Amino acid sequence: MEEADEMVTPGEVLGKATDLKAGKGAYAASHNNTIYASLTGFRRIQAPPPASNDKRPTVEVTGHKAHGPVPEPGSVVIARVTKVMARTASADIMCVGPKSVREKFTGIIRQQDVRATEIDKVDMHLSFRSGDIVRAVVLSLGDARAYYLSTAKNELGVVSAESSAGATMVPISWTEMQCPLTGQIELRKVAKVVN
Amino acid sequence: MENKQSSSPASFVDSTVVPGDVVLDLSSMTNQTIKLGGGLRQDCDAISATKAGTLRFSKPNKYWIESSQKRYVPCVEDTILGIVVDSKADNFLIDIKGPAMGFLPVLAFEGGTRRNIPKFEVGTLLYLRVVKANFGMNPELSCTDASGKAAEFGPLKDGYMFETSTGLSRKLLSSPACPVLEALGKKLSFEIAVGLNGRVWVNAASPDTIVVVANAIMNSECLSGAQQIIMVDHLLKNIQ
Repeated sequence: MEEADEMVTPGEVLGKATDLKAGKGAYAASHNNTIYASLTGFRRIQAPPPASNDKRPTVEVTGHKAHGPVPEPGSVVIARVTKVMARTASADIMCVGPKSVREKFTGIIRQQDVRATEIDKVDMHLSFRSGDIVRAVVLSLGDARAYYLSTAKNELGVVSAESSAGATMVPISWTEMQCPLTGQIELRKVAKVVN
Repeated sequence: MENKQSSSPASFVDSTVVPGDVVLDLSSMTNQTIKLGGGLRQDCDAISATKAGTLRFSKPNKYWIESSQKRYVPCVEDTILGIVVDSKADNFLIDIKGPAMGFLPVLAFEGGTRRNIPKFEVGTLLYLRVVKANFGMNPELSCTDASGKAAEFGPLKDGYMFETSTGLSRKLLSSPACPVLEALGKKLSFEIAVGLNGRVWVNAASPDTIVVVANAIMNSECLSGAQQIIMVDHLLKNIQ
C-alpha cells in the first residue's frame, strides 16, 4: 500500500477500469470504463488478493473524518426519539451496530412498524415519547428525509427512558416502565432485555 | 410571623398557592389513593404546586390547582372555539390559543366520507371537541361528540367572537348559570358559544344586542354575582 496519497474529491478520475477495480468510495462508470471517486478522501491502492483470478489492484477513497458508519437496510441502530406524532415518530440515529455515527441521520418509525401484532390499534403516544432511546432495525433507505425504522420484534423498542419526574425508568413488561422515585407506571413499547 | 408550614391538607385547600409550595405530605396520609389534577407534581413523598392559583379539593380524593390564564393548555374532552389556519391532505390546522396547532381530521364530521369533505376557508370559526391532547404532540380535535353525532359542533356563522381568560370561560359554563348570563337572558335574546380556550362567540338579531352582551361578559370577570347583576342593569338602561 502507498502512503501519503493525494486527496481526491467526488467526480475525480482515479484510473481506468481495465487497470483497477473500484473499492470503497469509488465506482466504475460503464459508458467509458473509467473509475471515478464518489467521496472525498485519500486515494489508496490495495494489492489484489493472491487467491483471486482478477489481477487488478483495488482503488479506494478513505481516510476522511466524515466516513463514519452509514445505516444499511437490515442493520440494528440505536436512535433517540425526537418527535412523536399521530402516526409516526421521528428519531435521530446515534449508533449503527456498535459504532457511533459521525453525521446526522434521521429515521421515522411508522405506526404499522411499531409492533408485530394489532398494528392498526397502535397509539404512538403509548409506545414512544420524546427523548426515549430505542433500538430499531432499518427497513429501507426511505425517502429523501429519513430512513424507515421498525421496532416490530421482541428485542427492539425502548431501551432507556426518563419518567416525567426525571428518573430513569425500570422496564416491567413489554408495555410498561416504572419510575423508581414516584412509582408511576408509563406505557412504552419496551425492548426485551436479552442476557 | 410568616405562614405556618403545616402540612395537613386542610390548610392549603381553597387558598392561593405559588409554584414550589409543598401542599400535601404523603408520609402523613398512608393507605389512601389520591388523584392529582393539573398543576400538581409528585416528588417522592411531597406533592408540590407547579402553577400559581387556588388549590381545590373534591371528594373523595381529587386535588387540583385552578387558575386563570390567557393561554390555553389542551385537555381531553374540552369544548373549544378554533380558527382554521390551513388545510392539508388529511387534517385542517386549527389555532386553539394553545402551545401547538390542533389537527382536525378531514373525516371527523357526522357522516364524513372522502367524498363530502367540508371546505373551510382560512379564518372560519369552529366549535370543536378535543379528542387527544398529549404533551409534545399536536392535539387532535373533532366536530362530533363521542358517539359520532354532530351535536352543535362545526362552523359558527355570523356573530362576533372575542377573547377572554380561561377562568372567565369556565365561570360562564358553570352550573347553576353565571349571574351575568342569567341577567342578560332575562331581557335580551341571543345565542352564545363558549370555548374553554378563552374564546366566546355571540350572535343576536341586532348588532346593538351583540355589543351589549360582549361588553357585559368582558366586564364581569372581576365582579361578584351581585355586582354583575348591577352592571348588567346599568348597561341595559343605557341602550333602552
